[in-house]
Amino acid sequence: MGRGRATARHGLLAIPIAFVTVLLIAPLALTFAVSFWERAGPKIRPAFTLTSYAEFLDGARLVVFERSLLAAAEATVIGLLIAYPIAYYLGRHVRPAVTRTVLALFTVPFLVNYILRTFAWTFLLARTGPVNDALIGIGLVDKAVDWLLFSDFSVLIGLVTSYMPFMIYPLWLAIAGIDRRLIEASWVTGANPRATFLRVTLPLSMPGVFAAVIFGFVGSFGEGAVPTILGGVGYQLMGNTITSALDVLNYPLAAAMSSVVVVSMLVLLAFWYAVFDMRSFLGKIVRWRV
Amino acid sequence: MNATSFRRGAMWVLVSAVLAFLYVPLTPPLLFSVTDDGSAGALGQFTLRWYVEMWRNPLLTGSIWNSLIVALAAGLVTPPLALLAAMAVRELRVPRLLTLLFLLPLFIPAVSMGLAMAIFFRLTGVPPSLSAICLVHIMWALPFAFLIILTVMATFDPIYLEAAYVHGAGRWRAFRDIELPLIWPGVSGAGVFAMILSFNETVRTALVQGPYNTVQTYIWATYLQIGLSPTLYALMSLLILVTLALMAATSAMRGRRVNPRAMPPS
Repeated sequence: MGRGRATARHGLLAIPIAFVTVLLIAPLALTFAVSFWERAGPKIRPAFTLTSYAEFLDGARLVVFERSLLAAAEATVIGLLIAYPIAYYLGRHVRPAVTRTVLALFTVPFLVNYILRTFAWTFLLARTGPVNDALIGIGLVDKAVDWLLFSDFSVLIGLVTSYMPFMIYPLWLAIAGIDRRLIEASWVTGANPRATFLRVTLPLSMPGVFAAVIFGFVGSFGEGAVPTILGGVGYQLMGNTITSALDVLNYPLAAAMSSVVVVSMLVLLAFWYAVFDMRSFLGKIVRWRV
Repeated sequence: MNATSFRRGAMWVLVSAVLAFLYVPLTPPLLFSVTDDGSAGALGQFTLRWYVEMWRNPLLTGSIWNSLIVALAAGLVTPPLALLAAMAVRELRVPRLLTLLFLLPLFIPAVSMGLAMAIFFRLTGVPPSLSAICLVHIMWALPFAFLIILTVMATFDPIYLEAAYVHGAGRWRAFRDIELPLIWPGVSGAGVFAMILSFNETVRTALVQGPYNTVQTYIWATYLQIGLSPTLYALMSLLILVTLALMAATSAMRGRRVNPRAMPPS
């Protein structure tokens, strides 16, 4: 084959690389740079100032930061507790046809805009909504429960239903990809099911667990729509604090807060990349060139 | 044996409960969109008037039109881009790093991705346009399309390409005549998936939209300014139904896929 053709082929393969590099990585780097810029009226100009970070760490927004960390951690743990057993069961104990059907059923609500799904909870959890009616109906409570909506509870419901479906797929990929012979070997050498799970299956599924944690945690941490809809007036998490900084055209502050979210994600991602072999995780779907 | 069937029962209870938890929020918009009581939250007489009335709002019809254009563009551009990405992972020397690169848009929170691209467009002087919205949607859909195409490619045995080369076909000819037809279900599936993701994207779009509304940003902006209304419920129901229809179309396509087990093992 001619040299020119090889160059043309490499040129084609470079298109998607350039696409992500120019339109995502460069913008993220630029955002990080802008977080050190200063405001000049409605405009921004290059500078090196830590004003935005100081503004971020000042009282009110630090509370938002802590609340976001807590909400994201809770949503991630709850999401894992729900998604792991389901993924484990689908990956180990179910026929492929059933697995495909169940995964497809999880895909539908995952694909419908989570904001549309989140709106529904304002009706379902309202004082006069069906959940309260049901609670009163079965005699669990005497009068309508207030804390169901516009509370930490409803925000948590919104975060879990938005990001948990995201977590099932990497978990299922990792668990279904475990070599059965390793588990059989554990049985043969006399380990009981519990020990087999704790010492073989769980460690081998860690790449999936970690990917799920990144989806759940980072998604919830940077989430803006859910707290706006389900948190009630003035309820702030990182995401809607960033957009409200944009409403007053404070780009450097928005950039600083966004960079905190992105850098925490990159740290987790770098850890994932360094510690886990992606071949074990994506081994089923990528034919790696060794 | 009893313990096993108990565990199986418990698992299916959990799966059904979680699915119910995810599907129940799809029903209120569908219910409220066909009720004549203007106040959301109460069920009145059955009516389809909101589905008729929404077409009288030019802002809304404009946003539907914009959504269709953007989704079509995302559906057409994302698959070839993702196909090139999957080939780059297969052919270039750094597959792990490239995989991470193409999966990156999946890991960036929506607000951060929208903000980064908005700042980039602003500082490089790109004015808000439907094309800018398209770029954001393609970036968001790329990792999904990439994974779908990789999955299908893994079922394709490269020995067929070798066979084509032996018979004197060039790389392009071998790709066009042998590989592309076999991985086509993945490519078209990725296109439909990109359209679904585009139809359902709000947060990233809202940060770069400028004066252009998609259906989703129209719903979001109206919700923030006025609140929910029967017309919005009708619009949401349409979006849910379109998403379900596109999903059904994808699974129908997948049904016709070449059975990978029918191929000889590599």
